[in-house]
Amino acid sequence: MDEQKLILEAQAGNNKALAELVKRYEKTVYSFAFKICRNPDKAENTMQETFMSMVKSLKQFDGKSKLSTWLYRITANHCLMEYRKKKREFVSFDDDDALISESSIADWDSIPSLSIENKELKKILDEAIQKLSPEYRIVFLLRDVEGLSTEETGKITELSVPAVKSRLHRARAFLREEISQTVKR
Amino acid sequence: MKQKQVTCKDVMHHVCESLGEDLNSSKCAAIKAHLDECSGCQNYFKSVEATIDFYRKYNVEPNEETHNRLMSFLGLNESE
Repeated sequence: MDEQKLILEAQAGNNKALAELVKRYEKTVYSFAFKICRNPDKAENTMQETFMSMVKSLKQFDGKSKLSTWLYRITANHCLMEYRKKKREFVSFDDDDALISESSIADWDSIPSLSIENKELKKILDEAIQKLSPEYRIVFLLRDVEGLSTEETGKITELSVPAVKSRLHRARAFLREEISQTVKR
Repeated sequence: MKQKQVTCKDVMHHVCESLGEDLNSSKCAAIKAHLDECSGCQNYFKSVEATIDFYRKYNVEPNEETHNRLMSFLGLNESE
């Protein structure tokens, strides 16, 4: 059944259609939540809350945006709320130039050969991204990892296109530099 | 590294800002020309691409128990 029909059926109270919609997006939502919080329990909790929000407000969904866009927004907002409660400190970007170090450019020759199955590499990736504030992390994940357009990323995060680009630029440069510095040690 | 009209820092900022965008401005042409000739900047470009690629490949999926708990949480158990 196509998605629009499933949404209409689910809005009319058909639980099978609702379950089918949940199944279609379960992996996307879980994976996106995990990528933001880097923790399986938190990812599961976020996924449950995201779909609960979907179930509660599906009747208001007007179909003007894609269901996936709507779900990304709910997931991102849930994660942001959780982080704001904890008031953790993240890296600040006062000086864009400091993100770019010409001295560490040549050290990447061996890094791309590392497999993503390598536990040490996973730890490096987890630690690097967790230093980024969730506002930057979400933009990087939506645009670069989930492959959404700059415009879609802006809609989900309620940011202008230039603001998305600015956050993306800083996130990319920061993550590259962090991985580079960690591997060098 | 080469220091012509476009510096290596310019190129690196541009790579971080515009990777994945379809760009045809004169500044982009100068950046591309610099990239063609500068091995340091080529390495930088590849390293930003590799960073993104690592995060893309680092994927996790919910297992069956996670799925079952979700359906139960939502009151959508498949046996019902």
